[in-house]
Amino acid sequence: MTSLITLCGKELRDLSRNRSVRLLILFLAVVVVLSVLVAAADFRTKTADYTSYLAALKASGGAVNAPPPDLFPLQMLRAGMEYLEIVGSLFAVILGYGLIAKEKNNGTLELLFTRPLARHSFAAGKILAALIIWTAVTAALFAVITAALLIAGNAPLTGTDFIRLIIAAGHTIIYLTLWSLAALALAALTRAPATGLVLALVLWLVVVLVIPQIGDTMDPDNQIPGGLFASLQIDKAHEHAVMANFTGYETSRDLIEQASLTKQYERPLFAWLGIKDQYNQQSPAFVWAGTFNHTLWLLAGFAAAAAAALLAGTRDKLLRKA
Amino acid sequence: MSPWAAAVGHELRSAGRERLPQLLLMIFIGMSAASAFIGSAAKATVTEVYNSAAGQGLTNAANPFGNVPPLYYARNTVIYILLIGALLAIVIGVQSAMRDRRARTIDLVLTRLLSPAGYLGAKMTGIGLGLLAVLGASALISVVCISAVTGSIPAPDQLLRLLALFGVAWLFLLFFVALGTLSGLHASSYTTALLVPIVIWSVIIFVLPLLGTAAHPVSLLNPVTPPAAPLTGIFALTGSLTGPLSLGEQFKHVAAILLKDPQATGTMTGGITVILAFLAAGISAVVLTGRTSMRKELHD
Repeated sequence: MTSLITLCGKELRDLSRNRSVRLLILFLAVVVVLSVLVAAADFRTKTADYTSYLAALKASGGAVNAPPPDLFPLQMLRAGMEYLEIVGSLFAVILGYGLIAKEKNNGTLELLFTRPLARHSFAAGKILAALIIWTAVTAALFAVITAALLIAGNAPLTGTDFIRLIIAAGHTIIYLTLWSLAALALAALTRAPATGLVLALVLWLVVVLVIPQIGDTMDPDNQIPGGLFASLQIDKAHEHAVMANFTGYETSRDLIEQASLTKQYERPLFAWLGIKDQYNQQSPAFVWAGTFNHTLWLLAGFAAAAAAALLAGTRDKLLRKA
Repeated sequence: MSPWAAAVGHELRSAGRERLPQLLLMIFIGMSAASAFIGSAAKATVTEVYNSAAGQGLTNAANPFGNVPPLYYARNTVIYILLIGALLAIVIGVQSAMRDRRARTIDLVLTRLLSPAGYLGAKMTGIGLGLLAVLGASALISVVCISAVTGSIPAPDQLLRLLALFGVAWLFLLFFVALGTLSGLHASSYTTALLVPIVIWSVIIFVLPLLGTAAHPVSLLNPVTPPAAPLTGIFALTGSLTGPLSLGEQFKHVAAILLKDPQATGTMTGGITVILAFLAAGISAVVLTGRTSMRKELHD
C-alpha cells in the first residue's frame, strides 16, 4: 500500500511538472471557455434578431405570435462538452500513454522493479494518479466553465444547475480516466510504447469519431439541413408517430451508437445538462430513469479499462516487452 | 539511378512496410467502401419515412430524396477523408521523418550528393505517390460500391466528378503529410511529434468552424452541408477571419459542389485556393528545413 501511494505521489509530481501536459490542459480550458463565449454570442445574436423582427412587425402593424428565444444556461455548454468528448479524450490518451512511455524510454522500469513491489502496485499507482489528475483537471475545467457562464454568459444558475454540473463533471472524470487507462494498457502491452500510442489513437478514432458518425449519419432527421421533419413541416408528435413504424431501423441505429463509449458518456451528459430537449427542465429522478443504463455502461467501460491497465502493468509483462 | 529517384523509391518501400499506417489505411478503405451502403440505408429509410408521412396526409412537400444523384452515396467518404484520411496522413508524415532520426541514417544520407531540400522533396514525392495509390484504390472501391447500390455504373460525368473529389482529397491530405513531416523533423520526441499536428488538426476541423459559425463540433461530422455563416453580428467578423483558415470546411464545400449536393452553393475557386495555399505553405516549410534541424537528437 505504501509503495502504491509513493508511486502515485511521484506520478502526480511528474505530471504537474510536465510542460506538455500543462499546455494541453490549458488548451482544453481555452477551447471550452471559447465555446461558452461563442454560445453566449450566438444567443445574443438570436435575441437581437428577434428584437429587430419584433420592431419591424410592430411598425407594419402585424401581430406578434413568435416567442422570444429561451435562455437555458446549461445548454450553452453543448459545444464545450463535445470538445471534452473529442479533444479531451484525445489528450487523455496521450497522458495515459505518457505514464508508461516515460518509464520505458528513461529505462527506469528495470530500476523500479528491483524494489519489493506487490504484483499490481506499479499499475495501481499509475491508475490512481490518472484518476486523481483527471478529477483535479475536470474540477478546474468545470469551475472555469461555470465562471464563464456566470460572467460572460450572464446566465443565472440555480442550485439544481450546480448539482447537474457536478453530475456532468463526475461522468467526465470517468470518461477521461477511462481513455488514459486504455492508452496505458496498450502502451504497456506493446514492445515499443509508440506502437501503443498509435493503436490507442486508432481505437480513439473508431470509438469517438467513426461509430458515432455512422449512427448520426443514419438518423433520417440528419439527412436534410435543419432536419427532415422540419423540412416536411411535420411536428414532434406526428414525427414520433411516423418513426414508430421504423423501430427496427432505429433500434439498429441505436445499437451502433451504443457500441461507442463516447455515446454512453454523451447521452447522460446531455440529459443532465438539459441539452437534449426531452430532458430539459425535467426532475433529476426523470433524467436518472432515462439515462442510468448509459451511466452503468460507462462505468463498465471504466472498470474494463482499469482491469486491462492493472493486468498489463505487471513486472512480467512490462519487462518482457522492454 | 539518381539519388533523388532512389530516395523516392526508398520512401515508398518504407511507408509500405509500416504496420500502423497500414491499420489506419485498412480502416479508411473499409469505411470508404461502407460509405455507399450507409448512404443507401439512410436514403431508403428517408424515402420510406416520407412515403409513410405522405400516406397519412402529414405533408404535401416533395420527397427531398426523390431524385438523388448517384454521387450522393459518396458524401460520407468526404467525412472519412477529413477524419481517418487526415490522421493517416499525419501518422505517415511523422513516421517518415522519425524513421531517419531514430535510425540516425540522416547523417549518412546527407553525405551523399543530395541537398536537404532535395532529400525532403523526394520523401514528400514518395509519400505523395503512395497516397495517390491509396486514394486511387479508394476511388475504385467507391465506384464499385456505388454501382452495387444503384445497380448501374455512374455516368462518365459522374465518374469524372468522383475522380476530381479524390484529386482534391489528395491535395488536402498532402498538407497533413507535410504537417506530420514537419513536426517529425523538429520535435524533440515521438510523442510531441505526433501530438502537435493532431492538436493542429483538431483546431482546424473542430475549433475554427465553431468560432466562425457557432456550429457544434459533432455536427461538423455530418455530411449534410452546414448552414451558411450569419452575415450579421459578431459571427460576420469571426466568420470572415476563421473561414479561410477552416481547411476542413473548405474541403467539405468543394466536395459538396463536386458531388452535386443540392444544398451547396457558390463556387469551388475559394476552397481550392485555400487548400493549395495550405499545401504550398506546408511543403515549403518541409523542404526549407535545414541540415541542423534534420540531424537534431531525438529524446525518446
